[in-house]
Amino acid sequence: MAAALRPAILRHIRIPVRTVSRSRPLACLNPLSTSMIRSMSSHGDDHLTKEEVIERVLDVVKNFPKVDPSKVNPDVHFQKDLGLDSLDNVEIVMALEEEFKLEIPDKEADKIDSCSLAIEYISNHPMAV
Amino acid sequence: MASAASAPSRAEVLSLFRSLLRTAAKFTDYNVREYAKRRTIDGFRENRGLSDPSSIASAFADGRNQLEVAMRQVVVYSLYAPKVKSVMEIGSG
Repeated sequence: MAAALRPAILRHIRIPVRTVSRSRPLACLNPLSTSMIRSMSSHGDDHLTKEEVIERVLDVVKNFPKVDPSKVNPDVHFQKDLGLDSLDNVEIVMALEEEFKLEIPDKEADKIDSCSLAIEYISNHPMAV
Repeated sequence: MASAASAPSRAEVLSLFRSLLRTAAKFTDYNVREYAKRRTIDGFRENRGLSDPSSIASAFADGRNQLEVAMRQVVVYSLYAPKVKSVMEIGSG
């Protein structure tokens, strides 16, 4: 009697298996699907905008004691236009390092001798804050 | 102990200047940090006009020794770092 009961119960419990045709393409392979674009992700905002970099670099240069703030613009050259010397150059680069929390290697730091180079270097640096 | 060193090149002097400023920035004590920065800048500026190679070399050697002192002191100071920030370090506003 139990032998007949068992299949009856199993038939009742078991869910019949249905095969689903996989004709619909996977959504992730479709490059135009909107699910690829993380519109709410704020990851892209980590990097500084160029305007912000320019403004902060100019502020640092203007606040340097030996500099005349009225002469400072994004194209100014530290030694040629602002009358600074190489020691001042090192000081300004150090001040920029502090402002943007960077560590600029000596070889690169030696090349930065104008506002435009500073702005370019900092904008391209992934770790600038 | 110091051998008769030839005068350092311009790049070496600037490199020493930068190393001193970097080391000064690592001090945890506000006062010592500001002093080290000030002293470095004043010291280098004062000796800017030197033209005699032997005096340049001796000033450079002095700077090197001071750099070693500063590097050691950064370590010692960090062992006793203050728990409360100096009032001067609190940003304005």
